[in-house]
Amino acid sequence: MIDFTNVVKTYPNGTVALNGVNLHIDDGEFVFVVGASGAGKTTMMKLLLREEKATSGTITVDDTDLSKLSYFKVPYYRRKLGVVFQDFRLFPKKTAYENVAFAMQAVGTPSKKIKRRVPALLNTVSLGEKANSFPHEMSGGEQQRVALARALANNPKIIIADEPTGNIDPKMSLEIMNLLLKINKLGKTVLVVTHEKDLVDYFQQRVIMIDGGQVSDDRVGGMLE
Amino acid sequence: MKQYRPTYFIGQAFAGLWRNGVMSFASIAVLMSCLVVLGSFSLLVANINVNLEDLGLMNEIVVFVKKEASESEIKSIEREIKGIPYVGEVTRITADEALEQMKEQAGEDGYLYDMMQDDNPLLDSFILEYVDGAHYSDIMYNLGQIDGIDTIRDQRSLANTMQSLKNGIMLIFSWFLVVLFIVSVFVIINTIKLSVYSRKSEISIMRYVGATGAFIALPFVIEGALIGLTSSMLAFLVEYFLYGYIQKSMENVIEIVRIIPMSEVSVVVFFGFAAVGILTGIVGSTISLSKYTRN
Ligand SMILES: Nc1ncnc2c1ncn2[C@@H]1O[C@H](COP(=O)(O)OP(=O)(O)OP(=O)(O)O)[C@@H](O)[C@H]1O
Ligand SMILES: [Mg+2]
Repeated sequence: MIDFTNVVKTYPNGTVALNGVNLHIDDGEFVFVVGASGAGKTTMMKLLLREEKATSGTITVDDTDLSKLSYFKVPYYRRKLGVVFQDFRLFPKKTAYENVAFAMQAVGTPSKKIKRRVPALLNTVSLGEKANSFPHEMSGGEQQRVALARALANNPKIIIADEPTGNIDPKMSLEIMNLLLKINKLGKTVLVVTHEKDLVDYFQQRVIMIDGGQVSDDRVGGMLE
Repeated sequence: MKQYRPTYFIGQAFAGLWRNGVMSFASIAVLMSCLVVLGSFSLLVANINVNLEDLGLMNEIVVFVKKEASESEIKSIEREIKGIPYVGEVTRITADEALEQMKEQAGEDGYLYDMMQDDNPLLDSFILEYVDGAHYSDIMYNLGQIDGIDTIRDQRSLANTMQSLKNGIMLIFSWFLVVLFIVSVFVIINTIKLSVYSRKSEISIMRYVGATGAFIALPFVIEGALIGLTSSMLAFLVEYFLYGYIQKSMENVIEIVRIIPMSEVSVVVFFGFAAVGILTGIVGSTISLSKYTRN
């Protein structure tokens, strides 16, 4: 469960990125977040990841009030979330397998469990045979699927994808979106920030429109013109 | 059950050292110099202390009797000295005995003293020992009350000179050291900062997957500690040969000064260097990390 109540975010330089956001997302929902460039979508995701703190208002994820989360608890909170970015952000010198495994090593997962889980994760994103490929040996779509496998590695409840198809050709984009939907069917809450109107229209899911730092529309179906 | 591989952290630390080779080298050079100065200074003070102690053990006062004093007067002076509280053994050295001693010390050139034989200019003296330094000034006061004494000499003035020399050295070197350590920490901070900077994107990924601050920081802290360890080992080698060289050349020049052999202090120097070096490395890296490991 994700709750934004009157969330305002003003950056140190005075830019008001969010200006009173209210929204509620239930467990297991699939949500598109859309809006013009500079509307505040990435800022919302950063607040969710607790990379930035809200200037005022409250954000609650399950039972956690993010404004009250102590410095030491932030890493543990983040394990509840899996993130995917437009630019993949893989370790260039690690193979697909190692990239996924590292996410598990970083949180102290026993190596036995890592060896068991990583191949399964790569299979989930249909990259079983690419386990030993390096990022530069893979297409954008493939790299993004590695990133998705990594996001899933620590079994998070929520997946956040900020323009996951921004650097991928249209055919591959559909594949990534299908994958995200499949992940949603596995019981995870999925938030997808995107500019791709066609895909949003095609999938007919809940769409939250952000405009000028506020929620301007929130409904199931296609994108507003 | 959490499980972290120590090889990961150590491997990353070495990779960091290697990646920023020039800066790592600079850090090691600066910290090493700093440690050599620290070590030399400490050894100098230790040597002064040992020699001061030697002087202190010589709780002796030499009392010279006036030339014109007769044998009976000298006897009465001896009685009076023995009567002073806290004075231990009192030994009389006659002018003739004193001359004989000087002749002996001169060795081959002893014949030069032969012409003094007839008209010995030396004075009769008493060497008196005292047990407790606390009574020194009482004894000196009582000696001052005795008639027929020419001069009183003791090792105090030499001890005082060395003491103030030591204090002076301490003061100068303390400041020198403070400055050097600030420079060392500063250089290490920058080295680690560079190392952190070159791994900025990796750190951000680690944070997104929920790695703790400790997990992210540990490789860099180890990197700092490695810089400290390397510096201290090199500093130890330099100190070892430098001190040995100085000790050898001093031995032949000044015989009265006792110099502590390196073998007696090498263990202390070794672990002292290691402790200070590693600590400096850890402090430097921790300071440079605070900005990056915070959320
Ligand atoms: N770190 C920052 N410091 C200052 N201003 C910022 C910062 N990050 C974003 N902003 C500003 O906040 C506003 C919202 O930015 P945000 O990145 O959330 O937009 P967005 O909806 O994700 O846009 P896009 O679709 O282009 O990615 C913009 O005006 C942007 O310039
Ligand atoms: Mg954005």
